[in-house]
Amino acid sequence: MNSIKEKLWNYIDGTLPAADMQTIALLIEQDEVYRTKYNELLQLNSELNTMELDEPPMAFTYNVMETIRAEKAMNPLKATINKRIITSIAAFFIITIAAMLVYVMSTANLSAGASGFKMPVELNFKTVNLSYYFSGTVIKGFLFFDVVMGLFLLDNYLRRKTLAKGQ
Amino acid sequence: MHNNLTDIELIEQTLAGNQSAYADLVKRHQRFVFTLALRFAKGREDAEEIAQDCFIKAYRSLSSFQQQSKFSTWLYSIVYTTAMTFLRKKKLNIDSIDADESYIQIESKPSGYDEYNVENKSRSYYLNQAIEQLLPDDATIITMFYKGEQSLEEIARAMGIEANTVKVKLFRARQRLKEKLERNLKNEVKELI
Repeated sequence: MNSIKEKLWNYIDGTLPAADMQTIALLIEQDEVYRTKYNELLQLNSELNTMELDEPPMAFTYNVMETIRAEKAMNPLKATINKRIITSIAAFFIITIAAMLVYVMSTANLSAGASGFKMPVELNFKTVNLSYYFSGTVIKGFLFFDVVMGLFLLDNYLRRKTLAKGQ
Repeated sequence: MHNNLTDIELIEQTLAGNQSAYADLVKRHQRFVFTLALRFAKGREDAEEIAQDCFIKAYRSLSSFQQQSKFSTWLYSIVYTTAMTFLRKKKLNIDSIDADESYIQIESKPSGYDEYNVENKSRSYYLNQAIEQLLPDDATIITMFYKGEQSLEEIARAMGIEANTVKVKLFRARQRLKEKLERNLKNEVKELI
């Protein structure tokens, strides 16, 4: 009986090959058992086709959209920063540096002269006295500040890394 | 309103930042998603929670929708996995939901339903009752096949199983449904006598 039902369901669903469809159609026409079963299954099939879907609450769409809006608003600032802003800041610095380089190159005297190129005395490292440049109190203060800032940033970075590992 | 737009057009508009397009997409699919959720949750509140969760998940991963299948198929796969996770969380024993041992109270009665007036109970009422008594998988396959405009292959994709398995499951689900429907009607007649 199961195989009859299976064949009939396949016939109703239209999943049988054309030749089998014809065979089943003939059986339904001639065989009483097939015809009775077919009518039963066909009735259930038509009822299933007309079954009603359930209706969600009236505010369903509103609730979904509100949750999405709230979720978007809760996003951290760094995630919502427009990438264009970052790109334009980067572009500003690149253009400024490029303009400075062009200006320096255009105003510099690049001709080395007939006698050949000689390194200026000021750039000769053998004769450069570094203690001369780093002797000023302001410079020392600046370097000290830089070191402190560097350590602070390193500490901050390591703390964040440890926190991320903990999560 | 974007009633005349296809699902794909609405998705494109949503991805371009138009949230009202997504609201229209939700309105278009909410009845079916809610019905599918009800097949698992059996209670309207839980079903609403599942359905909402599905639409939020779909929104979050909308950009990853490859358009290799229908949007509805993709959405129903989200419904299926979300509902299964929900069931696991709720620690419901799916197998024990079989109505042979215990009948499940049906919460979604048609409007104007009179509990004591059997004459008012239409055949569709009994059909819904029988579907509610099926296992979630059986009820889902029947709902997807008849109301979700999904082929056997699409149902298979949504449920993560083979198309042939879906065919066998559909056959068995319809058999069980028919048996339950007949039993419920017999019981009703017995009560009347």
